[in-house]
Amino acid sequence: MNKTGLIFFPAFDWAISPTHPEREERLLYTRDQIFEEGILDNPRITEYKPRLADLEDIERVHFCVPDVVSQTTNAHLISVGSALKLGDALKNGEIKNGFAMVRPPGHHAMRVVHGNRGFCNINNEAILVEYLRSKYGIRRIAIVDTDVHHGDGTQDIFYHDPDILFISMHQDGRTIFPGTGFVDEAGGPGAYLKTINIPLPTGMTDDGFLKVWREIIKPALDIFQPELIINSAGQDNHFTDPLANMKVTANGYAKLTEELKPDLAVLEGGYAVETALPYVNLAILLALAGEDYSCVIEPQRHKADLRQARDVSLTIDKLIAYWQDRLNQATPDKESLFGKDRRYKRQRSIFYDTDHILEKQLETVEYCPDCLGLYQVSSSAPRELGKGYSIRGISIPLYACNSCQERAYEYWERIKVNNIRKVEYDVLYLQDKKNNRYLKESR
Amino acid sequence: MDIGIDIGGTYTDGVVMQDNEVISYAKIPTGQDITVSIRQVLEQIVSGINKKKVDRLVLSTTLITNLLAQERKFPVGLILLPGPGVNPRTLRIKGKSIIIRGAIDYRGRIIETLDEQEVKKAVEQLLLEGIEYIGVACKFCQRNPLLEEEIVKIIKEDYPQIKCLASNQVHGLLNWVRRANGTVYQLMVATEYQFFIDQINKTLEQYDLTCPVFILKADGGTIPLGISAQHPLEGIFSGPTASMLGGLAAGGEDLTTVVMDIGGTTTDLGLILKGVPLQAAKGAIINTYPIPSRALAVSSLALGGDTSLNITNKKVCLGKRLGCAYCLGGPHLTITDALVYLGLSEIGDISLAKAKMESWAYQHDLVPQKLAEEALELFLDALEEKLENIFRQWEEEPAYRVWQLLSAKVDRPRTIVCIGGPAKDLGELWGEKKGWNVVIPQYASVANAIGTALAKTTLRLDFFADTQQKIYSTNIGGVHGRVTNISKLEGARDFSKHLFQEIRQKWNIIDEEVEIIYEEGFNIIRGWETAGKIFQIGLQTPPGLKGYMSKGGEI
Ligand SMILES: [Zn+2]
Ligand SMILES: [Zn+2]
Repeated sequence: MNKTGLIFFPAFDWAISPTHPEREERLLYTRDQIFEEGILDNPRITEYKPRLADLEDIERVHFCVPDVVSQTTNAHLISVGSALKLGDALKNGEIKNGFAMVRPPGHHAMRVVHGNRGFCNINNEAILVEYLRSKYGIRRIAIVDTDVHHGDGTQDIFYHDPDILFISMHQDGRTIFPGTGFVDEAGGPGAYLKTINIPLPTGMTDDGFLKVWREIIKPALDIFQPELIINSAGQDNHFTDPLANMKVTANGYAKLTEELKPDLAVLEGGYAVETALPYVNLAILLALAGEDYSCVIEPQRHKADLRQARDVSLTIDKLIAYWQDRLNQATPDKESLFGKDRRYKRQRSIFYDTDHILEKQLETVEYCPDCLGLYQVSSSAPRELGKGYSIRGISIPLYACNSCQERAYEYWERIKVNNIRKVEYDVLYLQDKKNNRYLKESR
Repeated sequence: MDIGIDIGGTYTDGVVMQDNEVISYAKIPTGQDITVSIRQVLEQIVSGINKKKVDRLVLSTTLITNLLAQERKFPVGLILLPGPGVNPRTLRIKGKSIIIRGAIDYRGRIIETLDEQEVKKAVEQLLLEGIEYIGVACKFCQRNPLLEEEIVKIIKEDYPQIKCLASNQVHGLLNWVRRANGTVYQLMVATEYQFFIDQINKTLEQYDLTCPVFILKADGGTIPLGISAQHPLEGIFSGPTASMLGGLAAGGEDLTTVVMDIGGTTTDLGLILKGVPLQAAKGAIINTYPIPSRALAVSSLALGGDTSLNITNKKVCLGKRLGCAYCLGGPHLTITDALVYLGLSEIGDISLAKAKMESWAYQHDLVPQKLAEEALELFLDALEEKLENIFRQWEEEPAYRVWQLLSAKVDRPRTIVCIGGPAKDLGELWGEKKGWNVVIPQYASVANAIGTALAKTTLRLDFFADTQQKIYSTNIGGVHGRVTNISKLEGARDFSKHLFQEIRQKWNIIDEEVEIIYEEGFNIIRGWETAGKIFQIGLQTPPGLKGYMSKGGEI
């Protein structure tokens, strides 16, 4: 099949709040441009109708607190459902690639969800990846996040999974939300270098953008050899974006798309609703469909200074050298990375900017020579207004060994009993990806 | 009383209807000159009636479809103002086109000005190619027609011999490729269409018919004959549209059904959902060129009653039409003969079909009974596949709002209304095999004319207003302009209703009702402040028919 699948879901009747950047207006001018171009009559592009995702698809990825319904609206379910529908169309051989031009976005949503972070509640790409793996038996998937913000949610969800390569190129966390995504965040001990962060200096142009792609991301993909590539196609590296400080153009995005050849692209951020989105969305769609995008030239481009400063180029070159060197080094073995107590532990605080929540969590991953090992998390998030929750979750990986799986159920029984004796958690979760079984106990 | 005349490629049908009953009808072969055919039909159907009591006459005509299908070399050129976007050289745009500077964006702002010298150069170049008609198409011209108007002005002043048309006058749909094609096609047919209108008016005068005259539109509504001169493309695909309406008239008001019209070579299939014929999601396509007109979602199957039967590798297969059915004196066995042979149809002479089917089957060492059954099986399989496609297209229509996705879906129909040739017999076979209800209209042979007579004058207005840019636009060609005093949805609603009322008066629409199909407002937020609003409101007169045949018209 030679077709590009498109789901356009602008959610014209959904907003976080009337003046929020994530409001009804966001894709209105994109609609105008895409419709006016007549591009939907192009036989190489097939438009699909969105659908709702099932609760199970979300439970496969997230511990939604206290439940999925409280953390999602129908718009969320449709946004992610659109990605799943294109995933099905791809696997059924109806399309060669697909673009979910949808809102709301998702790449800041982590495994535990207490509320909205960075305009996201549930992670569209992560839910897509786990859906494809569980339904079609695909194993190795790469996610390339080209949003200007660090895809911290996606990173969090796959941080311990060696079958998922997550690459995020973004504006340096010292100058932008969410303040993470540095080179030392490179994956858990069982998935070392399966997370690659490329924190970029402000003022990067198409040149830097494409150079990073060609000299870091492409070689990393060549080593990993994914069966499928998913692009978190945020568009806020654009030179007119109000929330970031980059100088990428619609043509830069299209060129990257053309070379990356993602199987599925999912729109993420991008808040220059007039000056960027109509043109970047169109250019990416054309690139996916193999059509000429060179005439998609933003009217603002004539006035803008789109030269890359020398120090920006130098910083980018240093990053490239750093990553090329690191990718060529031998990977240390998993056992030694887990250390002598054979257990990975991480304690941290997570800030939810939209909902003003400060979550505290403790994660553990057990070493297992035969699989990813069991993942456990305890998390609490007191809120200023309304009820805060404390939760505990256990996750059995999709390719868990039998002993890890059995042990998970032992833990599950034990924490349930303990929680009756001494109430510590409001909600308990058991996420059994292997059996597609998601258990929950609420107090 | 209402008169409906459907001028098809082969036959012209006419009916006079009173209180949803047929009081007279006629069917004649369509001649070279369609006004002659209209006259012949009128002669037969209006002879005994009081012409003063005729409320209206509706015509459905293949004229436009025929004019466009001829693909004669029309000296039409296009001046295109694409601005940023898809490479205009890769678009499916009809005719010789020249791309020039000048661009408008989605808000109707000029982002690149015209170069007058370049315009003149483009016109000169088209003149050298022998072009006499020029269309002008600018992206987002419905949001701001200024650049198109400037070009038209330059052409009118400096090249008065050229007939030119701007795309903002043709249609307001957000799809400039379709508008550009529509502009070219409209220029192509304008002269002959005007001639047709004049002829019709003369003819009706001769018959003392003074009632208003309407043309059936591809979307199942009608448009006054005079106004159709400005929108001639609305009259395409009249035949399939008329038969869908004929099916609806027989099926009844709230019916959800498939309508099947079987002709000699093709079978038209359409869907009616709760009494409303399904519209094509994107609009009509003429000779592979997409145009802006709305049209019913009618799909054609390249099989009909005259489809010939062949044998390859001891298996029956379906071929082209070689003539009419053998049982009617045709040259070859057809689908119709298979029906007749099996006793499923009473068309023609069964002894002819029987003798030929048997000799042909034995000649190939086959059992005639099985051969005929397998041929019909092939037809029904093709029908099933096509229906599945139609259903899927309908169910897969994109939705851009949460509510649209959550709203209750109509179930797939299990009723089929059968019109034309052997439709009754094939429909009954289908119904028996699949457990469907089968509806056979009483006046199936003139169902198109009945559908035409009962079609309503429908109007749909898709209104768009941007209070910051102070502009409004609509789906109707030439209906756009400035707004200054709207700030709330109520204001926008009043404004659009007023606009609707104005057009409705011009269009002679008697129906008082106005339906709001959708309405929504967008905050234009710039720097956390509201800088204005964008409103989108859809208004229409209720779809459906003027009336339905009493007792469902069934037999
Ligand atoms: Zn972003
Ligand atoms: Zn294990």
